Amino acid sequence: MRRWLGRLRNAVRPGRLGRDLERELRFHVAERIEELRDAGMSAEDAARVARRQFGNYTAQVERTRDMDIAEGLDATLRNVRLSLRALAKSPGFSMTVVLTLALGIGANSAVFSAINAVLLRPLPFPNSDRIVSVAQMQAKTPQPHIAPARLEDWNRMNHTFQAISGYYTQDDSELSGDLPEKLTHALVAPRFLEVWGIAPQIGRDFSPEEEHYGGPNAVLISDRYWRRRFGASPDAIGNTLRLGQTSYTVIGVMPASMAFVQRNVDLWSVSAPDFPYARSRDLTWFLGVGRLKAGVTPAQARADLATVQAALARQYPKPDAEIRAGIEPLKERTVGGVRESLWVVFGSVTLLLLIACTNIAALLLSRAASRQHEIAVRFSLGASRASVAAQLVTEVFLLALAGAGVGLGLAAAAARVFQVLAKDLPRVEEIGLDWRIVAYSLICAVAATLACGLVPAIAGTRRSLAGSLASAGRSQVSGRRPAQFVLVGVQVALAVTLLAGAGLLLRSFQALGRVAGGFDADHVLTFRISASWGETGDLKRSGQTVKRILEAVAAVPGVESSAATFLLPGVPGTFPVELSVAEGRAESEPKIVAESRIGSAGLFATMRIPLLAGEMCPQESNTPGMMVNRLFANAYFGGAGAIGKHLGQPSSPYFPTAVVRGIVGDARERGLDHEPVPAIYYCGLIMQPGLYFLARTHGNPMALGESVRRKLHEIEPGRSVYEISPLTAHLSDAFAENRLRTVLLTFFALTAIALASVGLYGTLSYLVNVRQREVGLRLALGALRAQIVRQFLAQGMRVSLAGCAAGLGLAGAFTKVLAGMLFGVSPWDAITMTGVIALVMAVSIAASLLPAARAARVEPMQVLREE
Amino acid sequence: MRNDAPSRVELLQGTLDLLILRTLLAGPAHGHAIAKHIQRTSEDLLQVETGSLYPALHRLEAKGWIAASWELSSKGKRARFYRLTTAGRRQLAAEQSKWDAFARAMALILNPADQEAP
Repeated sequence: MRRWLGRLRNAVRPGRLGRDLERELRFHVAERIEELRDAGMSAEDAARVARRQFGNYTAQVERTRDMDIAEGLDATLRNVRLSLRALAKSPGFSMTVVLTLALGIGANSAVFSAINAVLLRPLPFPNSDRIVSVAQMQAKTPQPHIAPARLEDWNRMNHTFQAISGYYTQDDSELSGDLPEKLTHALVAPRFLEVWGIAPQIGRDFSPEEEHYGGPNAVLISDRYWRRRFGASPDAIGNTLRLGQTSYTVIGVMPASMAFVQRNVDLWSVSAPDFPYARSRDLTWFLGVGRLKAGVTPAQARADLATVQAALARQYPKPDAEIRAGIEPLKERTVGGVRESLWVVFGSVTLLLLIACTNIAALLLSRAASRQHEIAVRFSLGASRASVAAQLVTEVFLLALAGAGVGLGLAAAAARVFQVLAKDLPRVEEIGLDWRIVAYSLICAVAATLACGLVPAIAGTRRSLAGSLASAGRSQVSGRRPAQFVLVGVQVALAVTLLAGAGLLLRSFQALGRVAGGFDADHVLTFRISASWGETGDLKRSGQTVKRILEAVAAVPGVESSAATFLLPGVPGTFPVELSVAEGRAESEPKIVAESRIGSAGLFATMRIPLLAGEMCPQESNTPGMMVNRLFANAYFGGAGAIGKHLGQPSSPYFPTAVVRGIVGDARERGLDHEPVPAIYYCGLIMQPGLYFLARTHGNPMALGESVRRKLHEIEPGRSVYEISPLTAHLSDAFAENRLRTVLLTFFALTAIALASVGLYGTLSYLVNVRQREVGLRLALGALRAQIVRQFLAQGMRVSLAGCAAGLGLAGAFTKVLAGMLFGVSPWDAITMTGVIALVMAVSIAASLLPAARAARVEPMQVLREE
Repeated sequence: MRNDAPSRVELLQGTLDLLILRTLLAGPAHGHAIAKHIQRTSEDLLQVETGSLYPALHRLEAKGWIAASWELSSKGKRARFYRLTTAGRRQLAAEQSKWDAFARAMALILNPADQEAP
């Protein structure tokens, strides 16, 4: 073993071995000289004879040396040294290749790091594949919230879960500082930490007394809040926080990993199962999570909970008979939505790398052709084809390695870019470099090497090069180099594909921007105000709070009108409800299903949604009222007949029967990328968490943000105002994922066409160089310069056209994949395709014109004289 | 010099290794001393070419049959001394018995007890 290391070491540090051998052999010669002198020779004679007898010194050293060195490693190192020398001799070429590969591999690594963090890596909890989300499903509403009593029953009666728990969030103002600070407060069922499998990093979990109604109020704080408020000091434990009317004692700090599933939550406290309201089986509020026992599959858990729920349905036919349990692995729930987008981006970036490799392969083919002389000499000196090819591949590998190294730097920077461009991407904070990304980069480098370097190396070392030695420097008359032009054609095809995809996404995005929402989103300021669920207990009081706030906001100078709503118009969201008519409805009539919204009276004025018939909801009224939109009125009541009807929701206790007061215009409530649907608007809001407040302003909405905040602080000092932004920002944020996709794909497509044009230019340039003699001859024989230009231009155009045709075919497949992400354009949109072809042809003409013009400027006499 | 001495016997391939191992059985020696010893003990019939001696020594060292270290020679100069290892001893025994069997076979064929023509 030690010997092996010695042999490796000798390969890497040949100097030392050489010196030792020299010393050993010198000693031998010295002894021989001594012998001869002892036998009577003179010193010089002895030296001469000894040397002669010894033989060829250098050869001996070499032969002896070979015994001591790990042969394979020595050859590899020699290859590397030679390659480095060759690359250093042509710095321009090396730089170009390294940068191209850096771009290709870097982009690939960046996207892969996103995929790794979001899709591949498990959630940062022990055995996270056992964590599932648990939901309550019923036919009437799509809300997954679970009633606390039912949650406890499920936890008690199941056989497949280690624990089931739940949580919900609200805003609270923390009042122990100078200004109220808005915090996100999560209320959790017992066993919460057990589901995640974690323990507080300092402090302790909730005790049984704290998990009972009326017990001490304890709170766990988040790692981020701990650092921000308490400077990460252990003295935070035992501190008191004042949330509204209640004081809470800090008993522990959550580990940082909690941030990955509950990003914005600052504190957790217990929602006791024996809280009086919690006994109802109808009031639902928990979002359920559970941890399966080891070895249990989600399918088994589903079956188990189905049995449990069936037993509950027998015990409490109302409402449990209508209710089922739903289970989904939590990671799937978190990332499932973006999976498609990410893979599309990954596919694009791989295409880009392919284009880059094709480009480099073409470059290498050219270069191998110009090194034929050197290669032929090496063959004649006895090198085997494999060793020469190996050296050529080593050169490419070194370039790829350098490219991968720079690319990793790019990938690290890209993590920041992701975090800016796609704030809402799930798990975006987890994107970063780790060993998997580095390994992936290396694999890309090896793949790139093989893709780019293998074919040129094999082609360039063809044995039939004896001819080239004889004809040193003679250029080819007929430059038929199909391989390189095929490569350029491939690049053009791939570029066309990417451009088509990017073009479609861009047009989609544009179409979204031009959509008439049915409302006026400009000059509207939105903000939120902290509230708690507790105040919803007093309906009258919380209703008046909203009115007071709206009046105060409307009184701020610069504000035209104010309103409040639960869901912002135009931002994707759907709350369908089924309605029944108190006045009666024929059995044959279709069921009444509509999008439901809740808004204050001023909503339509603030959003400039026109009133078409009837009247707006009055400010004060004893009967609950609602407005309906035109689609709803026309679909179910034939128009104005809707006014005056009393509509109720048979399945929901929250919404009383309301009378229809008027009909308003259609708005795209479900999101700008959906058609308008029948919708109803309940009039009147009570103060609760999750409301959006709107203010229509005369000028720039953001300019009034501070005034609004100060005014509200005057009338409601206990609440904090947050998330102040113009409505237009919400609307564009809603399509952040869309935007990310579009931006990335456009960037890749532009890079692709740039690479393809550089490839075309390079190949044509090389061709012109090689055929200089032929062109000179033709010019001397009377050809017109224009003819020469036309010929080369035509060659370039032919390749581009072939590439475009192939690209259109590929694009057809690619855009089919994108079909689900488009809006307002079909995958075969003629305008986009025409535009792409026009762009590619224009770029090709430009790229071909330069070398063609250069060809025509050849001086025939000069070229013919050179030989 | 070559022509003066009685005709040298060409060393068969592989026998050099055996000779070196046998020489080192007596104790550690440096390269020159090994060559001298072989020449002297074979009564000048075998003279090892330095061109084959040192590659052979390094080859045997790579195989682990001999081990080398820099020591001071009897005259006080630094030289690389080789000595036999345990594995080398075993190899020597194996090679020697193979050689003895080979030599016996050759002798039987070349000098048959009865002068029978083949």
